[in-house]
Amino acid sequence: MGTPLESWQTGLAGTFPAALLPPGNTSAPLRRILLPAFILGFLGLLGGCKSPVSERPIGTAVEIKPPLGLPPVPIPPDNPPTKETIALGRRLFYDVRLSKDNSLACASCHNPTLGFTDGQQISRGVGGMGGVRNAPTVANTAYLPLQFWDGRAVSLEEQAASPIADPVEMNQTHEVSVSKLGSDPKYQSMFRDAFGSKQITIGRVEKALASFERTILSGDSAFDRYAFGGDKSALTQAQIRGLALFKDPQKGNCATCHTIDRTYALFTDGKFHNIGEGVGDEDTFKDVGRYHETRRETDQGAFKTPTLRNVANTAPYMHDGALKTLKQVVDFYAGGGNSNPYLDKEIRVIQLSGQERSDLMEFLKSLTGELPPNVGPPGKE
Amino acid sequence: MKIFHWLNHCCLFSAVVMTLGCSNAPKNVPSTGPAPQPAPSFYKVDPATAGSLTGTIKFSGKKPSPKLIDMREDPACVEAHHGKAYDQSLVVSSNGSVANAFVYIKAGLEGKNFEAPKSPVTIDQSGCWFRPGVLGIQTNQTLQVTNSDPVTHNIHPMAEVNREWNHSQGPGDAPLSRHFIKPEIMIRVKCNIHSWMHAFIGVLPHPYFDVSRDDGSFEIKNLPAGTYSIAVWQENLGTQEQQITVTPHTNTSANFTFKGK
Ligand code: HEC
Ligand code: HEC
Repeated sequence: MGTPLESWQTGLAGTFPAALLPPGNTSAPLRRILLPAFILGFLGLLGGCKSPVSERPIGTAVEIKPPLGLPPVPIPPDNPPTKETIALGRRLFYDVRLSKDNSLACASCHNPTLGFTDGQQISRGVGGMGGVRNAPTVANTAYLPLQFWDGRAVSLEEQAASPIADPVEMNQTHEVSVSKLGSDPKYQSMFRDAFGSKQITIGRVEKALASFERTILSGDSAFDRYAFGGDKSALTQAQIRGLALFKDPQKGNCATCHTIDRTYALFTDGKFHNIGEGVGDEDTFKDVGRYHETRRETDQGAFKTPTLRNVANTAPYMHDGALKTLKQVVDFYAGGGNSNPYLDKEIRVIQLSGQERSDLMEFLKSLTGELPPNVGPPGKE
Repeated sequence: MKIFHWLNHCCLFSAVVMTLGCSNAPKNVPSTGPAPQPAPSFYKVDPATAGSLTGTIKFSGKKPSPKLIDMREDPACVEAHHGKAYDQSLVVSSNGSVANAFVYIKAGLEGKNFEAPKSPVTIDQSGCWFRPGVLGIQTNQTLQVTNSDPVTHNIHPMAEVNREWNHSQGPGDAPLSRHFIKPEIMIRVKCNIHSWMHAFIGVLPHPYFDVSRDDGSFEIKNLPAGTYSIAVWQENLGTQEQQITVTPHTNTSANFTFKGK
């Protein structure tokens, strides 16, 4: 594996991806870069007072073509994706300099080899700071009306900056991020190409990250070829039986929340449900979930329905990572979850034989899809 | 809670000031804050007046032939159970003794308030079986639910007087603690995933209950002298009751025989 990949995977503090470093001895060139960058940044700031830095991409909007099984990607009017913003967002996504001690990139917790998750029960931030939730995939988050398990961000743009400053994630103030990135001439030219000037603002960072994330689309799974591609041999017999159970309201009832539409399937309704996960002794919730945002009593313990695409590669499961295997998930549902006063009415004890439970699991494994070639670490395609 | 604390400190403070400021002030200034919760007065048994109760549960009918349980639905259970599993709804020994009958004092203890033991009663899910299959617990005593199996269970006490609940426990999950706040004879417990798993929980407001052993015997100790109604419950045979009188330092015997059909 190449160095850029290793540096965010192993999280070695201070090891910048080799591709990001100017050639030769680092310290001298770095100082040479820093001074002008600082002056420029300062001037930029002064200029910014008169005319605020534009955060609108200047390039030609590109069409993001969804793979088989996914609908067109919703695009916010003020952030049309361009070749330049996507490339910039990709570099940022894999850059450990967005964290306080240069140990974590977005990709550390949203690792492409683990279906853009981190394989941990609960994510750990810089210095091993314990978070509270399991890292969801960022694949196909472009389709979600609200981001995070509790829906506290309304867009990918709004979402993008929060892990950087979050003390239990990357723990770096936006001022520091902006100045760290600003000292890299490669970023200066990339920001210029993307937004028309080399100034770095957190708004531009957000937009670039969001545009890159809109390209992380995963479809074209065996299920998609079966359901939308007309390939009736794409699924095994067990998977076909599992699909029927998944959709049958009298059986699995799964598709009520993990939706399958006529021409595409997101496997999430983007809504919040209490499925009885994370109920403690005496019906208490360690994590109140959606209630945290709405303060609506009935939202206690409700979390956003996660997509099930690539679910075979994204263990452990649920907002708290409490379920370790797909078998445990299916058994959890088969038993009717955990009773509590706010349990969604669609969750009930479902009568599934051992064979049916194993068919359902087989079906979940058919949702492993392809990822586009250019969403891995930059310089790796 | 915060306000409560603050009030407490405030009262304490003024009490101290008063005591210091005026030497004639009474030592114990009555608190004007929220009165401390009166400690509930629990009934304490005087060993000098207590006796014990022993007996045996018998069944005079034909010993039921063992019924094999089919766990093939979940192959991991077949493996976890180690050997054949038989239906336990009526376990009778060769001489007619009935195991797993729940014996308890049904009446005669009214007005006495017994403290719940601090130690929990444990029910384990092991070998895709509830162990024990019949158990007694006091109101407000902790029921600790554990899963020793490599599979997920979903324990579901189908309580009617108490609140009904169910809870999923995966392999290696931490024990779960629950309480039943009202007396209830008997709560039927099932596993929502494994249809053959059953248990029964008897909830009583006092500690005078026992589950008969393989030889059909039971023992209830440290019972205050008095007249009681003692009852026995058996999953298939139903219930029986008798009046008994317990006198200090003596053992009273109470035997029950269920007639075969
Ligand atoms: C320390 C690990 C960690 C890092 C680093 C991290 N994330 Fe996350 N990410 C998480 C966790 C945990 C959640 C879920 C948090 C929640 O819902 O409260 C999450 C949620 C998200 C979501 C929402 C997905 C959904 O389905 O709602 C997106 C999008 C996302 N992260 C993108 C990013 C980006 C972009 C970066 C880099 C700027 C990043 N993350 C850095 C752990 C991390
Ligand atoms: C009432 C809506 C609803 C129904 C019905 C439902 N789910 Fe879910 N599912 C959710 C929600 C919400 C979560 C996240 C819950 C949490 O983390 O607390 C979830 C989580 C999951 C996860 C974990 C995914 C991950 O990445 O962590 C899997 C797998 C899953 N569901 C499969 C199923 C299957 C299989 C069925 C049918 C047997 C089903 N679901 C039925 C709403 C539902």
